[in-house]
Amino acid sequence: MQPLANVTPLKPAARAGAIEVKNVGQVFKTRSQDVIALEDVSLEIKPGRFVVLVGPSGCGKSTLLMMMAGLRQQTAGTITISGAPILQPDPDRVGVVFQEASLFPWLTAEDNVEFPLALRGVPKAERRAKAQDALKLVGLDGFGRRHPHELSGGMKQRVSIARGLVQDPPVLLMDEPFAALDEQTRMTMGDELLRIWAATGKTVVFVTHSLTEAVYLADEVIVMSARPGRIVDHLQVQLPRPRTYEMLSGDAFGSLRDRIWRHIRKSA
Amino acid sequence: MSARISAKTLRHLIVIGLIALWELLPRAGLIPELFLPSLSSTLMAGWTDAGEYGHALAVTLYEVVVSMAFACGGGILLGAIVGSLPRPRVLIMPMVSSLYAVPLVILYPVFTVWLGIGSESKIAFASIYGFLPTMLATSAGIQTIDPQLLLAARSMGATLSQRLVRVIIPAAIPTVLSGLRVGGALVIVGVVVSEMLISSAGIGYLISRYRTILDSPHVFAGVLLVLFLAIGFNAVIRWIERKAAIWQTGTRAGQANDDIASSAMQPAT
Repeated sequence: MQPLANVTPLKPAARAGAIEVKNVGQVFKTRSQDVIALEDVSLEIKPGRFVVLVGPSGCGKSTLLMMMAGLRQQTAGTITISGAPILQPDPDRVGVVFQEASLFPWLTAEDNVEFPLALRGVPKAERRAKAQDALKLVGLDGFGRRHPHELSGGMKQRVSIARGLVQDPPVLLMDEPFAALDEQTRMTMGDELLRIWAATGKTVVFVTHSLTEAVYLADEVIVMSARPGRIVDHLQVQLPRPRTYEMLSGDAFGSLRDRIWRHIRKSA
Repeated sequence: MSARISAKTLRHLIVIGLIALWELLPRAGLIPELFLPSLSSTLMAGWTDAGEYGHALAVTLYEVVVSMAFACGGGILLGAIVGSLPRPRVLIMPMVSSLYAVPLVILYPVFTVWLGIGSESKIAFASIYGFLPTMLATSAGIQTIDPQLLLAARSMGATLSQRLVRVIIPAAIPTVLSGLRVGGALVIVGVVVSEMLISSAGIGYLISRYRTILDSPHVFAGVLLVLFLAIGFNAVIRWIERKAAIWQTGTRAGQANDDIASSAMQPAT
Protein backbone atom coordinates (compact mmCIF):
# COMPACT_ATOMS: atom_id res chain seq x y z
CA MET A 1 0.00 0.00 0.00
CA GLN A 2 1.22 3.47 -0.83
CA PRO A 3 1.37 6.16 1.81
CA LEU A 4 -0.61 9.10 0.54
CA ALA A 5 0.75 12.55 1.22
CA ASN A 6 -2.61 14.22 1.58
CA VAL A 7 -3.94 11.90 4.25
CA THR A 8 -3.50 13.49 7.66
CA PRO A 9 -1.92 10.90 9.98
CA LEU A 10 -4.60 11.15 12.67
CA LYS A 11 -3.16 9.14 15.57
CA PRO A 12 -2.82 5.86 13.62
CA ALA A 13 -3.45 3.67 16.66
CA ALA A 14 -6.80 5.31 17.31
CA ARG A 15 -7.85 4.98 13.69
CA ALA A 16 -6.88 1.33 13.32
CA GLY A 17 -10.01 -0.50 12.27
CA ALA A 18 -11.93 2.60 11.26
CA ILE A 19 -13.68 2.36 7.88
CA GLU A 20 -14.69 5.35 5.83
CA VAL A 21 -16.68 5.05 2.62
CA LYS A 22 -17.08 8.35 0.76
CA ASN A 23 -19.38 8.91 -2.22
CA VAL A 24 -18.65 5.47 -3.59
CA GLY A 25 -20.26 4.40 -6.83
CA GLN A 26 -19.98 1.34 -9.03
CA VAL A 27 -21.09 1.15 -12.64
CA PHE A 28 -21.00 -2.11 -14.59
CA LYS A 29 -20.59 -1.52 -18.28
CA THR A 30 -22.40 -4.01 -20.46
CA ARG A 31 -22.65 -3.94 -24.22
CA SER A 32 -26.09 -2.39 -24.36
CA GLN A 33 -26.13 -0.16 -21.28
CA ASP A 34 -24.42 0.89 -18.10
CA VAL A 35 -25.84 -0.66 -14.95
CA ILE A 36 -25.49 1.44 -11.82
CA ALA A 37 -24.88 -1.07 -9.03
CA LEU A 38 -24.02 1.44 -6.32
CA GLU A 39 -24.68 5.15 -6.22
CA ASP A 40 -23.20 7.71 -3.87
CA VAL A 41 -22.72 5.43 -0.89
CA SER A 42 -21.14 7.06 2.15
CA LEU A 43 -20.76 5.63 5.61
CA GLU A 44 -18.45 5.69 8.56
CA ILE A 45 -17.69 2.77 10.83
CA LYS A 46 -15.91 3.29 14.12
CA PRO A 47 -13.25 0.82 15.28
CA GLY A 48 -14.52 -2.25 17.05
CA ARG A 49 -18.13 -1.97 15.84
CA PHE A 50 -20.15 -4.87 14.54
CA VAL A 51 -21.91 -3.60 11.43
CA VAL A 52 -24.31 -5.62 9.29
CA LEU A 53 -25.21 -4.80 5.69
CA VAL A 54 -28.65 -5.96 4.57
CA GLY A 55 -30.75 -5.34 1.49
CA PRO A 56 -32.63 -7.10 -1.29
CA SER A 57 -30.73 -9.30 -3.75
CA GLY A 58 -28.76 -7.23 -6.20
CA CYS A 59 -28.50 -4.17 -3.96
CA GLY A 60 -24.73 -4.27 -4.18
CA LYS A 61 -24.00 -5.11 -0.56
CA SER A 62 -21.55 -7.84 -1.51
CA THR A 63 -20.06 -5.52 -4.12
CA LEU A 64 -19.50 -2.90 -1.44
CA LEU A 65 -17.83 -5.51 0.77
CA MET A 66 -15.57 -6.66 -2.08
CA MET A 67 -14.51 -3.04 -2.62
CA MET A 68 -13.68 -2.69 1.08
CA ALA A 69 -11.56 -5.82 0.70
CA GLY A 70 -9.72 -4.30 -2.27
CA LEU A 71 -10.92 -7.14 -4.49
CA ARG A 72 -12.83 -4.80 -6.75
CA GLN A 73 -12.26 -1.20 -7.73
CA GLN A 74 -15.09 1.32 -7.34
CA THR A 75 -15.78 3.61 -10.27
CA ALA A 76 -16.30 6.66 -8.03
CA GLY A 77 -15.40 7.75 -4.50
CA THR A 78 -12.88 6.54 -1.96
CA ILE A 79 -12.70 3.88 0.72
CA THR A 80 -10.23 4.25 3.57
CA ILE A 81 -9.47 1.67 6.21
CA SER A 82 -7.32 2.46 9.23
CA GLY A 83 -6.76 5.91 7.76
CA ALA A 84 -5.36 4.92 4.35
CA PRO A 85 -7.17 4.25 1.09
CA ILE A 86 -7.69 0.65 0.08
CA LEU A 87 -6.56 0.08 -3.50
CA GLN A 88 -5.79 -3.64 -3.48
CA PRO A 89 -6.15 -6.55 -1.05
CA ASP A 90 -4.16 -5.83 2.08
CA PRO A 91 -4.26 -8.73 4.54
CA ASP A 92 -2.53 -6.62 7.18
CA ARG A 93 -5.55 -4.39 7.41
CA VAL A 94 -8.42 -6.57 6.25
CA GLY A 95 -9.30 -10.23 6.69
CA VAL A 96 -12.07 -11.67 4.52
CA VAL A 97 -14.40 -14.59 5.20
CA PHE A 98 -16.39 -15.87 2.25
CA GLN A 99 -19.34 -18.20 1.91
CA GLU A 100 -18.69 -21.88 2.42
CA ALA A 101 -16.24 -23.70 0.14
CA SER A 102 -13.49 -21.13 0.04
CA LEU A 103 -11.12 -23.43 1.96
CA PHE A 104 -8.49 -25.19 -0.13
CA PRO A 105 -9.63 -28.83 -0.13
CA TRP A 106 -6.13 -30.23 -0.61
CA LEU A 107 -4.81 -28.56 2.55
CA THR A 108 -5.46 -29.51 6.16
CA ALA A 109 -7.30 -27.07 8.41
CA GLU A 110 -4.07 -25.76 9.88
CA ASP A 111 -2.41 -25.46 6.47
CA ASN A 112 -5.45 -23.48 5.31
CA VAL A 113 -5.09 -21.14 8.26
CA GLU A 114 -1.36 -20.82 7.62
CA PHE A 115 -1.90 -20.08 3.94
CA PRO A 116 -1.83 -16.26 4.16
CA LEU A 117 1.30 -16.45 6.31
CA ALA A 118 2.96 -18.86 3.89
CA LEU A 119 2.30 -16.42 1.05
CA ARG A 120 4.56 -13.90 2.71
CA GLY A 121 7.24 -16.36 3.70
CA VAL A 122 6.68 -16.47 7.46
CA PRO A 123 8.91 -19.23 8.94
CA LYS A 124 7.22 -22.57 9.51
CA ALA A 125 7.42 -22.62 13.31
CA GLU A 126 5.94 -19.16 13.68
CA ARG A 127 3.24 -20.01 11.16
CA ARG A 128 2.28 -23.13 13.01
CA ALA A 129 2.12 -21.32 16.35
CA LYS A 130 -0.11 -18.56 14.98
CA ALA A 131 -2.38 -21.05 13.26
CA GLN A 132 -2.75 -23.03 16.48
CA ASP A 133 -3.71 -19.86 18.34
CA ALA A 134 -6.26 -18.92 15.70
CA LEU A 135 -7.76 -22.42 15.65
CA LYS A 136 -7.98 -22.38 19.45
CA LEU A 137 -9.74 -19.01 19.30
CA VAL A 138 -12.46 -20.37 17.02
CA GLY A 139 -12.88 -23.50 19.13
CA LEU A 140 -11.17 -25.97 16.81
CA ASP A 141 -8.26 -27.00 19.00
CA GLY A 142 -7.19 -30.48 17.92
CA PHE A 143 -8.86 -30.43 14.50
CA GLY A 144 -5.89 -28.93 12.67
CA ARG A 145 -4.92 -32.14 10.87
CA ARG A 146 -8.29 -32.70 9.27
CA HIS A 147 -9.04 -31.87 5.68
CA PRO A 148 -12.06 -29.68 4.86
CA HIS A 149 -14.13 -32.62 3.63
CA GLU A 150 -13.73 -34.20 7.05
CA LEU A 151 -15.27 -31.16 8.75
CA SER A 152 -18.90 -30.10 9.10
CA GLY A 153 -20.19 -26.92 7.48
CA GLY A 154 -19.97 -25.00 10.73
CA MET A 155 -16.42 -26.21 11.41
CA LYS A 156 -15.33 -25.23 7.92
CA GLN A 157 -16.61 -21.74 8.52
CA ARG A 158 -14.72 -21.64 11.82
CA VAL A 159 -11.56 -22.50 9.90
CA SER A 160 -12.34 -19.66 7.47
CA ILE A 161 -12.72 -17.25 10.37
CA ALA A 162 -9.43 -18.46 11.85
CA ARG A 163 -7.79 -17.89 8.47
CA GLY A 164 -9.23 -14.37 8.34
CA LEU A 165 -7.90 -13.61 11.82
CA VAL A 166 -4.50 -15.27 11.65
CA GLN A 167 -2.67 -12.13 10.56
CA ASP A 168 -4.51 -10.11 13.23
CA PRO A 169 -5.99 -7.45 10.93
CA PRO A 170 -8.12 -4.79 12.68
CA VAL A 171 -11.00 -5.38 10.25
CA LEU A 172 -12.87 -8.59 9.42
CA LEU A 173 -15.17 -8.56 6.38
CA MET A 174 -17.70 -11.38 6.13
CA ASP A 175 -19.71 -12.07 2.98
CA GLU A 176 -22.77 -14.13 3.95
CA PRO A 177 -20.54 -16.50 5.89
CA PHE A 178 -23.38 -18.59 7.34
CA ALA A 179 -25.71 -18.60 4.33
CA ALA A 180 -24.99 -22.23 3.49
CA LEU A 181 -25.50 -23.50 7.03
CA ASP A 182 -28.66 -24.98 8.51
CA GLU A 183 -30.71 -22.91 10.95
CA GLN A 184 -29.37 -24.48 14.14
CA THR A 185 -25.73 -24.33 13.13
CA ARG A 186 -26.32 -20.79 12.01
CA MET A 187 -27.57 -19.75 15.45
CA THR A 188 -24.62 -21.40 17.17
CA MET A 189 -22.16 -19.84 14.76
CA GLY A 190 -23.71 -16.42 15.40
CA ASP A 191 -23.06 -16.79 19.12
CA GLU A 192 -19.56 -18.08 18.41
CA LEU A 193 -18.82 -15.13 16.17
CA LEU A 194 -20.00 -12.69 18.84
CA ARG A 195 -17.74 -14.40 21.36
CA ILE A 196 -14.75 -14.18 19.00
CA TRP A 197 -15.58 -10.56 18.21
CA ALA A 198 -15.77 -9.69 21.89
CA ALA A 199 -12.47 -11.45 22.55
CA THR A 200 -10.58 -9.76 19.71
CA GLY A 201 -12.21 -6.33 19.43
CA LYS A 202 -12.17 -6.38 15.62
CA THR A 203 -14.27 -4.15 13.43
CA VAL A 204 -16.66 -6.55 11.71
CA VAL A 205 -18.65 -5.83 8.56
CA PHE A 206 -21.08 -8.64 7.93
CA VAL A 207 -23.30 -9.12 4.87
CA THR A 208 -26.45 -11.22 5.25
CA HIS A 209 -29.90 -11.88 3.82
CA SER A 210 -31.35 -12.77 7.20
CA LEU A 211 -32.97 -9.90 9.06
CA THR A 212 -33.05 -11.87 12.30
CA GLU A 213 -29.35 -12.58 12.02
CA ALA A 214 -28.71 -8.91 11.23
CA VAL A 215 -30.47 -7.57 14.33
CA TYR A 216 -29.17 -10.35 16.55
CA LEU A 217 -25.52 -9.75 15.73
CA ALA A 218 -25.23 -6.05 15.01
CA ASP A 219 -24.36 -2.84 16.77
CA GLU A 220 -25.51 -1.07 13.62
CA VAL A 221 -27.53 -2.25 10.66
CA ILE A 222 -27.12 -0.55 7.30
CA VAL A 223 -30.07 -1.11 4.98
CA MET A 224 -29.55 -0.79 1.23
CA SER A 225 -32.03 -0.48 -1.62
CA ALA A 226 -31.99 -2.40 -4.89
CA ARG A 227 -30.48 -1.02 -8.09
CA PRO A 228 -29.12 1.51 -7.91
CA GLY A 229 -27.79 0.46 -4.52
CA ARG A 230 -28.12 3.24 -1.98
CA ILE A 231 -28.16 3.42 1.78
CA VAL A 232 -31.76 3.91 2.87
CA ASP A 233 -31.36 3.49 6.61
CA HIS A 234 -28.60 3.23 9.19
CA LEU A 235 -29.99 2.07 12.49
CA GLN A 236 -28.42 1.49 15.88
CA VAL A 237 -29.28 -1.71 17.69
CA GLN A 238 -29.43 -0.79 21.35
CA LEU A 239 -30.10 -4.28 22.66
CA PRO A 240 -27.81 -5.20 25.55
CA ARG A 241 -24.96 -7.65 25.16
CA PRO A 242 -24.50 -10.53 25.42
CA ARG A 243 -27.40 -11.16 23.08
CA THR A 244 -29.61 -14.05 24.09
CA TYR A 245 -32.09 -16.28 22.35
CA GLU A 246 -34.93 -14.78 24.43
CA MET A 247 -34.37 -11.36 22.86
CA LEU A 248 -35.51 -12.74 19.51
CA SER A 249 -39.12 -12.72 20.69
CA GLY A 250 -38.92 -9.34 22.45
CA ASP A 251 -40.67 -6.16 21.27
CA ALA A 252 -37.46 -4.19 20.75
CA PHE A 253 -36.12 -6.90 18.49
CA GLY A 254 -39.37 -7.19 16.58
CA SER A 255 -39.72 -3.48 15.89
CA LEU A 256 -36.16 -3.24 14.60
CA ARG A 257 -36.71 -6.16 12.31
CA ASP A 258 -40.03 -4.71 11.07
CA ARG A 259 -38.38 -1.40 10.32
CA ILE A 260 -35.74 -3.11 8.17
CA TRP A 261 -38.33 -5.27 6.46
CA ARG A 262 -40.46 -2.24 5.49
CA HIS A 263 -37.46 -0.68 3.77
CA ILE A 264 -36.66 -3.83 1.89
CA ARG A 265 -40.24 -4.48 0.80
CA LYS A 266 -40.49 -0.93 -0.50
CA SER A 267 -37.38 -1.15 -2.63
CA ALA A 268 -37.70 -4.72 -3.87
CA MET B 1 -12.63 -69.90 6.50
CA SER B 2 -14.98 -67.00 7.10
CA ALA B 3 -18.47 -67.14 5.64
CA ARG B 4 -17.99 -64.08 3.41
CA ILE B 5 -15.35 -63.63 0.76
CA SER B 6 -14.04 -60.12 0.28
CA ALA B 7 -14.36 -58.49 -3.14
CA LYS B 8 -10.61 -58.56 -3.51
CA THR B 9 -10.29 -62.29 -2.91
CA LEU B 10 -13.16 -62.88 -5.26
CA ARG B 11 -11.46 -60.83 -7.94
CA HIS B 12 -8.28 -62.83 -7.52
CA LEU B 13 -10.25 -66.07 -7.71
CA ILE B 14 -11.87 -64.96 -10.95
CA VAL B 15 -8.49 -64.13 -12.49
CA ILE B 16 -7.03 -67.45 -11.38
CA GLY B 17 -10.10 -69.22 -12.72
CA LEU B 18 -9.76 -67.56 -16.11
CA ILE B 19 -6.08 -68.48 -16.28
CA ALA B 20 -6.90 -72.07 -15.41
CA LEU B 21 -9.63 -72.18 -18.07
CA TRP B 22 -7.19 -70.74 -20.60
CA GLU B 23 -4.94 -73.70 -19.94
CA LEU B 24 -7.60 -76.38 -19.60
CA LEU B 25 -10.14 -75.62 -22.35
CA PRO B 26 -7.72 -75.88 -25.30
CA ARG B 27 -6.02 -78.91 -23.73
CA ALA B 28 -9.30 -80.71 -23.34
CA GLY B 29 -9.97 -80.02 -27.00
CA LEU B 30 -13.05 -77.90 -26.25
CA ILE B 31 -11.54 -74.95 -28.11
CA PRO B 32 -9.33 -75.50 -31.17
CA GLU B 33 -5.71 -74.45 -30.59
CA LEU B 34 -5.99 -72.16 -33.62
CA PHE B 35 -8.63 -70.04 -31.88
CA LEU B 36 -7.11 -70.16 -28.43
CA PRO B 37 -3.77 -71.84 -27.83
CA SER B 38 -3.27 -73.05 -24.26
CA LEU B 39 -1.45 -70.79 -21.85
CA SER B 40 1.55 -73.08 -21.67
CA SER B 41 2.05 -73.22 -25.43
CA THR B 42 1.65 -69.42 -25.59
CA LEU B 43 4.29 -68.95 -22.92
CA MET B 44 6.47 -71.51 -24.66
CA ALA B 45 6.21 -69.64 -27.95
CA GLY B 46 7.17 -66.44 -26.22
CA TRP B 47 10.04 -68.12 -24.41
CA THR B 48 11.60 -69.75 -27.47
CA ASP B 49 11.55 -66.47 -29.38
CA ALA B 50 12.34 -64.31 -26.38
CA GLY B 51 14.94 -62.35 -28.31
CA GLU B 52 12.48 -61.40 -31.01
CA TYR B 53 9.83 -60.38 -28.47
CA GLY B 54 12.36 -58.51 -26.40
CA HIS B 55 13.41 -56.48 -29.41
CA ALA B 56 9.77 -55.80 -30.34
CA LEU B 57 9.01 -54.76 -26.77
CA ALA B 58 11.94 -52.35 -26.79
CA VAL B 59 10.70 -50.74 -30.01
CA THR B 60 7.13 -50.47 -28.73
CA LEU B 61 8.22 -49.14 -25.33
CA TYR B 62 10.38 -46.51 -26.98
CA GLU B 63 7.48 -45.37 -29.16
CA VAL B 64 5.10 -45.36 -26.20
CA VAL B 65 7.41 -43.33 -23.98
CA VAL B 66 8.16 -40.71 -26.62
CA SER B 67 4.50 -40.42 -27.66
CA MET B 68 3.50 -40.21 -24.01
CA ALA B 69 5.85 -37.27 -23.52
CA PHE B 70 4.41 -35.47 -26.54
CA ALA B 71 0.79 -36.30 -25.75
CA CYS B 72 0.93 -35.46 -22.06
CA GLY B 73 3.28 -32.51 -22.27
CA GLY B 74 1.46 -30.95 -25.18
CA GLY B 75 -1.95 -31.84 -23.81
CA ILE B 76 -1.29 -30.30 -20.42
CA LEU B 77 0.30 -27.18 -21.90
CA LEU B 78 -2.38 -26.48 -24.48
CA GLY B 79 -5.14 -27.55 -22.09
CA ALA B 80 -3.87 -25.06 -19.52
CA ILE B 81 -3.86 -22.26 -22.09
CA VAL B 82 -7.27 -23.13 -23.48
CA GLY B 83 -8.69 -23.65 -20.00
CA SER B 84 -7.59 -20.32 -18.63
CA LEU B 85 -8.07 -18.02 -21.61
CA PRO B 86 -11.58 -17.66 -23.06
CA ARG B 87 -10.53 -16.40 -26.49
CA PRO B 88 -8.48 -19.40 -27.63
CA ARG B 89 -11.11 -21.60 -26.02
CA VAL B 90 -13.82 -20.23 -28.29
CA LEU B 91 -11.58 -20.69 -31.30
CA ILE B 92 -10.17 -24.13 -30.58
CA MET B 93 -12.63 -26.08 -28.45
CA PRO B 94 -15.38 -26.74 -31.01
CA MET B 95 -12.75 -28.03 -33.41
CA VAL B 96 -11.10 -30.24 -30.81
CA SER B 97 -14.41 -31.66 -29.64
CA SER B 98 -15.50 -32.64 -33.13
CA LEU B 99 -12.05 -33.97 -33.91
CA TYR B 100 -12.37 -36.18 -30.86
CA ALA B 101 -15.32 -37.96 -32.46
CA VAL B 102 -13.40 -38.72 -35.66
CA PRO B 103 -11.74 -42.13 -35.78
CA LEU B 104 -8.22 -40.74 -36.00
CA VAL B 105 -6.84 -44.02 -37.25
CA ILE B 106 -7.90 -42.92 -40.76
CA LEU B 107 -5.05 -40.42 -40.56
CA TYR B 108 -2.44 -43.09 -40.01
CA PRO B 109 -1.86 -43.99 -43.68
CA VAL B 110 -1.23 -40.30 -44.32
CA PHE B 111 1.38 -40.23 -41.58
CA THR B 112 3.19 -43.19 -43.14
CA VAL B 113 3.33 -41.27 -46.40
CA TRP B 114 4.77 -38.25 -44.64
CA LEU B 115 7.07 -39.93 -42.14
CA GLY B 116 7.73 -43.45 -43.45
CA ILE B 117 6.84 -46.74 -41.78
CA GLY B 118 9.40 -46.44 -39.00
CA SER B 119 8.83 -45.26 -35.45
CA GLU B 120 8.23 -41.65 -36.46
CA SER B 121 4.81 -42.25 -37.98
CA LYS B 122 3.72 -44.32 -34.93
CA ILE B 123 4.90 -41.64 -32.55
CA ALA B 124 3.11 -38.95 -34.53
CA PHE B 125 -0.12 -40.92 -34.62
CA ALA B 126 -0.09 -42.07 -30.99
CA SER B 127 0.87 -38.59 -29.77
CA ILE B 128 -2.12 -36.99 -31.46
CA TYR B 129 -4.31 -39.85 -30.35
CA GLY B 130 -3.41 -39.46 -26.68
CA PHE B 131 -3.11 -35.69 -26.82
CA LEU B 132 -6.81 -34.93 -27.20
CA PRO B 133 -8.19 -36.41 -23.96
CA THR B 134 -5.26 -35.04 -21.96
CA MET B 135 -5.89 -31.58 -23.32
CA LEU B 136 -9.64 -31.76 -22.81
CA ALA B 137 -9.23 -32.96 -19.23
CA THR B 138 -6.64 -30.31 -18.36
CA SER B 139 -8.79 -27.59 -19.83
CA ALA B 140 -11.83 -28.86 -17.94
CA GLY B 141 -9.76 -29.18 -14.76
CA ILE B 142 -8.77 -25.55 -14.91
CA GLN B 143 -12.22 -24.33 -15.85
CA THR B 144 -13.87 -26.16 -12.97
CA ILE B 145 -11.66 -24.50 -10.35
CA ASP B 146 -13.95 -22.78 -7.89
CA PRO B 147 -13.60 -19.02 -8.52
CA GLN B 148 -14.15 -18.47 -4.79
CA LEU B 149 -10.81 -20.17 -4.12
CA LEU B 150 -9.01 -17.74 -6.40
CA LEU B 151 -10.86 -14.81 -4.86
CA ALA B 152 -9.96 -16.00 -1.37
CA ALA B 153 -6.30 -16.34 -2.37
CA ARG B 154 -6.36 -12.84 -3.81
CA SER B 155 -7.90 -11.45 -0.62
CA MET B 156 -4.93 -12.88 1.28
CA GLY B 157 -2.57 -11.00 -0.98
CA ALA B 158 -1.53 -13.83 -3.33
CA THR B 159 0.28 -12.66 -6.45
CA LEU B 160 -0.51 -14.12 -9.87
CA SER B 161 2.35 -16.61 -9.71
CA GLN B 162 1.42 -17.60 -6.15
CA ARG B 163 -2.15 -18.21 -7.29
CA LEU B 164 -0.86 -20.38 -10.13
CA VAL B 165 1.47 -22.49 -7.99
CA ARG B 166 -0.57 -22.67 -4.80
CA VAL B 167 -4.14 -22.73 -6.09
CA ILE B 168 -4.58 -23.41 -9.81
CA ILE B 169 -2.12 -26.30 -10.13
CA PRO B 170 -3.13 -28.23 -7.00
CA ALA B 171 -6.82 -27.68 -7.78
CA ALA B 172 -6.40 -28.99 -11.33
CA ILE B 173 -4.23 -32.02 -10.52
CA PRO B 174 -6.98 -34.63 -9.99
CA THR B 175 -8.67 -33.86 -13.30
CA VAL B 176 -5.37 -33.66 -15.14
CA LEU B 177 -4.37 -37.06 -13.75
CA SER B 178 -7.58 -38.65 -14.95
CA GLY B 179 -6.87 -37.13 -18.36
CA LEU B 180 -3.39 -38.62 -18.28
CA ARG B 181 -4.84 -42.01 -17.47
CA VAL B 182 -7.09 -41.94 -20.51
CA GLY B 183 -4.54 -40.22 -22.73
CA GLY B 184 -1.79 -42.65 -21.74
CA ALA B 185 -4.00 -45.66 -22.42
CA LEU B 186 -4.82 -44.25 -25.84
CA VAL B 187 -1.11 -43.77 -26.55
CA ILE B 188 -0.56 -47.49 -26.00
CA VAL B 189 -3.55 -48.30 -28.19
CA GLY B 190 -2.29 -45.90 -30.86
CA VAL B 191 1.20 -47.36 -30.94
CA VAL B 192 0.08 -50.99 -31.07
CA VAL B 193 -2.67 -50.40 -33.64
CA SER B 194 -0.39 -48.45 -35.94
CA GLU B 195 2.24 -51.17 -35.63
CA MET B 196 -0.35 -53.71 -36.68
CA LEU B 197 -1.39 -51.70 -39.73
CA ILE B 198 1.75 -50.70 -41.56
CA SER B 199 5.05 -51.41 -39.88
CA SER B 200 8.27 -53.36 -39.71
CA ALA B 201 8.87 -53.64 -35.97
CA GLY B 202 7.20 -53.69 -32.56
CA ILE B 203 4.76 -55.94 -30.76
CA GLY B 204 1.83 -54.95 -32.94
CA TYR B 205 3.86 -55.88 -35.99
CA LEU B 206 4.72 -59.29 -34.51
CA ILE B 207 1.09 -60.01 -33.67
CA SER B 208 0.00 -59.04 -37.13
CA ARG B 209 2.74 -61.05 -38.86
CA TYR B 210 2.15 -64.24 -36.87
CA ARG B 211 -1.56 -63.89 -37.49
CA THR B 212 -1.04 -63.99 -41.26
CA ILE B 213 0.75 -67.32 -40.90
CA LEU B 214 -1.89 -68.58 -38.43
CA ASP B 215 0.66 -69.11 -35.65
CA SER B 216 -1.74 -68.62 -32.74
CA PRO B 217 0.66 -69.25 -29.83
CA HIS B 218 2.95 -66.52 -31.10
CA VAL B 219 0.01 -64.15 -31.66
CA PHE B 220 -1.17 -64.68 -28.12
CA ALA B 221 2.32 -64.24 -26.72
CA GLY B 222 2.26 -60.78 -28.28
CA VAL B 223 -1.20 -60.11 -26.89
CA LEU B 224 0.03 -61.08 -23.42
CA LEU B 225 2.92 -58.67 -23.76
CA VAL B 226 0.56 -55.78 -24.66
CA LEU B 227 -1.59 -56.76 -21.71
CA PHE B 228 1.38 -56.52 -19.37
CA LEU B 229 2.29 -53.17 -20.86
CA ALA B 230 -1.19 -51.82 -20.13
CA ILE B 231 -1.20 -53.26 -16.61
CA GLY B 232 2.22 -51.76 -15.96
CA PHE B 233 1.06 -48.36 -17.18
CA ASN B 234 -2.00 -48.55 -14.97
CA ALA B 235 0.16 -49.38 -11.96
CA VAL B 236 2.36 -46.35 -12.62
CA ILE B 237 -0.64 -44.04 -12.88
CA ARG B 238 -2.13 -45.49 -9.71
CA TRP B 239 1.13 -44.86 -7.92
CA ILE B 240 1.21 -41.24 -9.08
CA GLU B 241 -2.41 -40.76 -8.08
CA ARG B 242 -1.75 -42.10 -4.61
CA LYS B 243 1.29 -39.87 -4.27
CA ALA B 244 -0.53 -36.78 -5.43
CA ALA B 245 -4.05 -37.21 -4.26
CA ILE B 246 -5.04 -36.72 -0.69
CA TRP B 247 -7.89 -34.61 -1.98
CA GLN B 248 -9.63 -37.17 -4.17
CA THR B 249 -12.76 -36.92 -2.07
CA GLY B 250 -14.94 -33.94 -1.52
CA THR B 251 -13.63 -31.62 -4.20
CA ARG B 252 -15.36 -30.31 -7.25
CA ALA B 253 -12.38 -31.29 -9.32
CA GLY B 254 -12.63 -34.82 -7.95
CA GLN B 255 -16.19 -35.12 -9.15
CA ALA B 256 -15.52 -33.59 -12.55
CA ASN B 257 -12.88 -36.26 -12.76
CA ASP B 258 -15.25 -39.15 -12.99
CA ASP B 259 -17.38 -37.51 -15.66
CA ILE B 260 -14.42 -36.99 -17.92
CA ALA B 261 -12.98 -40.42 -17.31
CA SER B 262 -16.24 -42.15 -18.14
CA SER B 263 -17.03 -40.04 -21.18
CA ALA B 264 -13.55 -40.41 -22.56
CA MET B 265 -13.32 -44.15 -22.07
CA GLN B 266 -14.91 -44.90 -25.41
CA PRO B 267 -12.39 -43.71 -27.95
CA ALA B 268 -13.20 -43.81 -31.64
CA THR B 269 -10.54 -46.11 -32.95
